[in-house]
Amino acid sequence: MQSLAAMLFLQNRQLTHLSPVDIIILLLYFAVVVFIGFYVKGSTNTSEEFFLAGREMTAWIAGLSFVSANLGSLELMGWAGSAYQYGILATHWYWIGAIPAMLFLGIVMMPFYYISKTHSVPGYLQLRFGEGARGLAAISFGFMTILMSGVNMYAMALVMKVILGWDINFSIWVGAATVALYVMLGGLRSAIINEVLQFVLIWAGAALIPILGLIEAGGWTNLKAQIVHNAGSTGYVHLWSTLGHFKDNPMGINWVGIVFGLGAIISFGYWTTDFLVVQRVLSAHNLRAAKMAPVLGAAFKMAVPLIVIVPGLLALGVLRDPHTGQLIHLVGENQVNAAHPYSYNEVLPLMLIRYCGPGLLGLGITALVAGFMSGMAGNVSAFSTVWTYDIYGAYMNKRAPDKHYVLMGRWSTVIGMLISIGTAYLVMNAASIMDYVQALFSFFIAPLFGTVILGMLWKRATNWGGFLGLLAGTVSSVSMWVYTNFGTAEHKAAALAKIALSRDAQPMANDMFRALWSWLICVAVTIAVSYMTTPRPESELNGLVYGATVIPHDGATSIWQKPAFWACVVAAVFVALNIIFW
Amino acid sequence: MAQGTGRGESLSIWFFVGIMTLSYGIVLFPYGAWEWFSGHEPATVLHQLHPTFWWGLLLLLFGAFYTIRYRPRSGDKDIA
Repeated sequence: MQSLAAMLFLQNRQLTHLSPVDIIILLLYFAVVVFIGFYVKGSTNTSEEFFLAGREMTAWIAGLSFVSANLGSLELMGWAGSAYQYGILATHWYWIGAIPAMLFLGIVMMPFYYISKTHSVPGYLQLRFGEGARGLAAISFGFMTILMSGVNMYAMALVMKVILGWDINFSIWVGAATVALYVMLGGLRSAIINEVLQFVLIWAGAALIPILGLIEAGGWTNLKAQIVHNAGSTGYVHLWSTLGHFKDNPMGINWVGIVFGLGAIISFGYWTTDFLVVQRVLSAHNLRAAKMAPVLGAAFKMAVPLIVIVPGLLALGVLRDPHTGQLIHLVGENQVNAAHPYSYNEVLPLMLIRYCGPGLLGLGITALVAGFMSGMAGNVSAFSTVWTYDIYGAYMNKRAPDKHYVLMGRWSTVIGMLISIGTAYLVMNAASIMDYVQALFSFFIAPLFGTVILGMLWKRATNWGGFLGLLAGTVSSVSMWVYTNFGTAEHKAAALAKIALSRDAQPMANDMFRALWSWLICVAVTIAVSYMTTPRPESELNGLVYGATVIPHDGATSIWQKPAFWACVVAAVFVALNIIFW
Repeated sequence: MAQGTGRGESLSIWFFVGIMTLSYGIVLFPYGAWEWFSGHEPATVLHQLHPTFWWGLLLLLFGAFYTIRYRPRSGDKDIA
């Protein structure tokens, strides 16, 4: 309720307005994306072309699209806000919370996804564990994806309302119609092209903030000194040295939660089993490109904190009222009032307005719009694939001609978008639904990773083991969430202390430890049930499981062409960055 | 071959990247020059560094490079 009140307060004001040059820049973007939809329509006649972009993308395109599918505006603005709230610790979600998992996907898991010729992650589960695991994963993924698209849509409309004073209905319908048009016409190909464009646009629109901000602050060392002075703590500028205990850092988490909860479970779950991102890599044109794409994606991902985390840190150091010279204090959304009119989540737009005048402002806003739209497009294209292949094609109409499935893909894009619009209006009327939808999404990720990784690495895992393990992990995740989110304040605190194993744990630690437990439960149940049931013959596991598969050579003829070599380079840079910002 | 847009097409995905950033450079670079030389700088922090002008120039050069490098050539469609 408080959150809703804060949002209503936000809706009654606007931060800035667009000049004619900004509008030209925004219209140029819309013109290009719609043109792309019409342009590639001719190359999306078969289901493989529509749902997997013809499996002809190079490693660079698949890699950029892979990392860009996750770089939505909700994510950009949210993590810039988190950087203000928690300091440099937010960087963990871009480094340890992404890089090892992306490299693991590329080098270890991608060969199985790719040579099994699966069209989706639920499709792999069907090949490995049968219909039960596929059905559970497909329905939960389809349902959550379409809800997330609606949340994205509403978030875009709200951001445009807050920054520019645009009507919410206008933003929802124009955004949805544009995305529906270009995805319906061009399928995944259209979505991928727009994701690559969006990646370039985000850098073009947002990179000036850290550049000018660091000039204003007098360099990184001076910025750190200002943050320590303003925040009164060194906890905001160290990546690892404050993670010894929950009480020593602003996030209220310890290294166990970050390394095992975030780095080993949530991150691996998201980057290796969420079909929204894996679909991009499946579009690669050969095995080497499929292995290389996540490695390239990881290299780009390491640079993203520059445009997301640094603006949040800059706000801690230099964001002052231009009239009074006083430091502007940002607060949580439910604490916004006349004395503190800005929330953490507005830090990115505030910094954009601080440094960017007409023209550059339009570029920054276009980057945000592009991020929102490609986020919606990613969700809708993944939904239409899973719906058509793993629900409609698996349970409703198994033997239709290929053209029928392409038509179903186009229609499910439009219908999916209409459901998303309905979700957006639902969220508009009950803002707390947004939090629930985001939490719901996290329920499936950790257990799904347990199921997929055991399926790929352990020949003894059986169909019943996979299905019941996934079910048990998901149910336990939902149960823990209910346990820690409902009841009196005392009950919630006590529940959190039990889940995170410390009375000093904060809600962020809750998510990490819930993921860890649900993964362990999934793995334990899968192993126990597998030993009680009959395994599949090894001959049936060829192409699906490590040890039962002869992995074909990826075609690399020199060390420079080997994905493993570049994965080592990225890993070395990753370790160096963590030491530098220790 | 036109990368990313389909086997039968001639415009590469990188051409779209180029044309889009080139368009933005064409809009921002002269606008930044007008702001600078006519004294219409916005009241933003560090406006004295003329970020619109320099950023517009950078986008112009980046976009021009990609547009020329990946421009459709005769025969691309057949090769693809």
